[in-house]
Amino acid sequence: MSEIENNYNKLGSILIQKEAIASIARQSTLQSYGVVGLAPKNLIESIHQLLKKDAKYGVEVDFDHEGLLIDLYIMVEYGTRIKSITNSIVNSVKYNVEKTIGLPVRRINVHVRGLRISNMD
Amino acid sequence: MSGVELTKLSPQERHKLISLPVNGQGLKTLVEAGMIWLKTNQQIVNNLNVFPVPDGDTGTNMVLTMQAAFDEIDQSGTKNIGQLARAIARGALMGARGNSGVILSQIWRGFARALDDQPTMDVKLLAEALLEAKETAYKGVVRPVEGTILTVIKDIAAQAEVSAQRTTVFTEVLADIVEAADASVERTPDLLPILKKAGVVDSGGKGLLCIFEGMWRFLNGDSLDKAITEVIPLSEMDLEDTMESVEPGQDYEVVIDFTPESTFDLENYYDELSKIGTSIQVGEGEGIYRMHIHVPLDKRYTPIDHTMTQGIIQKVMMENLVAQMEEKKTKKHPKINLAQVQPEETAVVAVSPGSGLSRIFASLGVAAIVQGGQTMNPSIKEVLASFENLPTDKVIILPNNKNIIMAAKEAASMTVKKVHVIPTISISQGISAMFRFIPDAELEENIASMVEAIDEVETGEITTATRSVEIDNVQVQKGQVIALHNGKLVTSTSNIDTATEELLIAAKTCDYERITLFYGEDMKLIHVNALADKIRSIYPDHEIEVHEGGQPHYQLIIAIE
Repeated sequence: MSEIENNYNKLGSILIQKEAIASIARQSTLQSYGVVGLAPKNLIESIHQLLKKDAKYGVEVDFDHEGLLIDLYIMVEYGTRIKSITNSIVNSVKYNVEKTIGLPVRRINVHVRGLRISNMD
Repeated sequence: MSGVELTKLSPQERHKLISLPVNGQGLKTLVEAGMIWLKTNQQIVNNLNVFPVPDGDTGTNMVLTMQAAFDEIDQSGTKNIGQLARAIARGALMGARGNSGVILSQIWRGFARALDDQPTMDVKLLAEALLEAKETAYKGVVRPVEGTILTVIKDIAAQAEVSAQRTTVFTEVLADIVEAADASVERTPDLLPILKKAGVVDSGGKGLLCIFEGMWRFLNGDSLDKAITEVIPLSEMDLEDTMESVEPGQDYEVVIDFTPESTFDLENYYDELSKIGTSIQVGEGEGIYRMHIHVPLDKRYTPIDHTMTQGIIQKVMMENLVAQMEEKKTKKHPKINLAQVQPEETAVVAVSPGSGLSRIFASLGVAAIVQGGQTMNPSIKEVLASFENLPTDKVIILPNNKNIIMAAKEAASMTVKKVHVIPTISISQGISAMFRFIPDAELEENIASMVEAIDEVETGEITTATRSVEIDNVQVQKGQVIALHNGKLVTSTSNIDTATEELLIAAKTCDYERITLFYGEDMKLIHVNALADKIRSIYPDHEIEVHEGGQPHYQLIIAIE
């Protein structure tokens, strides 16, 4: 199932595609300081990305009865404190997803897939 | 050298510490001054938080980052500025806390890279280093958000470049930088709407300003351990919330209105007050100052004596906070005594948006309350749960809102009990239905008389418009007070009193006998009583009652019967 039922309304149901959640998570990840890009989750995705732009690139969304599970695959600027950066990402992604979608986020895993070196010190 | 000693130095001694061009030890002293000043203003920066995201302790995060940077150089005796800057950058990187801390560490990293192996720094090199600091800071993010600390370092770098061409005097360039940073911080709300909405400037930018300001204040001979005293407009003084937190020992709240003498010195006044108590606020409006302070019992008259020497006192208000807190605690959660139903009787479930209204419903014989209203519709499950455990199988539900009737009916269909929904669309309808309720009468009998009662009451609601719109031929501006009569928009005006008066006319109040006002959580009792007096003078033959409704959003719910 790729749709998550948000809430029951007297006229029907609200269904949210994982892609929608992924694009919100992606947006707020990219705005987080220290993140210089997203990274493919696996080989298939890296090939896929060459052919077509995908909202889920670098982001994986799943859910269970307790809430959303989000995995982020990121590139980080060399020379920054990764612990602080990932903490900020988790906070702002959780905040933005919960604010816009209204579903609780249960877990966010941040996978640092690489460092970009713009300057050697 | 520890921070306390640094602030005790005279201006001459201070300048001696910084030999020009600035070397490693000079930079160390400047960094320490910046850190102390940031620490002094830490709380001010923390208070600028807008996001409910736990990055809200920007001031603390930046202080900790600067502290880590300083710890790295504290023992270093190197005169080589390049070496020292590298140590600062390393310390900042290792100790970077929070978003703003990471950005700050990048700023130091760029700064250090530009200084490289240089022994000293002149203004040209300072400008270059700040430019590199900005470049490095911007490289750390794909989509830089303007109106943040990034914008401030950008403006600082630009100013440094201009100033370095104008003069070779280090302090002049530093003064220019501080001025540019200050202006940049003030501009952040124009660039970032969320700041404007919250009425604050960017916290990270303010923190960065504090660091440069601290360096400049140090050279200028200003104190570093006294926070900036700011006078806020009287209207923005938030004296309600300061009550919530009473520090141990600070039992009394003293508020003094006074007109200061011409020689009045705010900073001195503030200093004196901070020796007496805590939670100090000073506000100003039309020449009158208002001072607010929390003090211990034995010092409760000291602020008055002190203010006497500073000007003419207009008014003094003193309250015992501890006693008040106790009262507030008990008042906040008074018990609601719901009716106890017997097995053969009929139970009524009412949906209520506020504690006051719940109490009124309970006093009229309601057996269960479901929290809910216009903006918070209860779920079917909540409605169901409210009556499932009652010891009777005859239940009447009063939804009291158009949007809740459906959920109530759904709940009624999901139980084996005999449940009937009386489609009340407002609180007043619900209350007037309750007036007819007789617990031991037959269910059908109750339903018939309660349904009848619904039509005998006119409902008025006073609320604030959340957006600009035109409905029922009435133009509404966002923020205006609007009046609804039986759910239809009657008028939109600037104040509650006029809205109420026009509403009463529209509801043909002359044909009825009684007006009941239920005031919401945002309304003050004094205001409601004044309004009730006004209504009494317009409708002298009517019976007028005022009750606490406690409902959110609606300042008043009015029943006319």
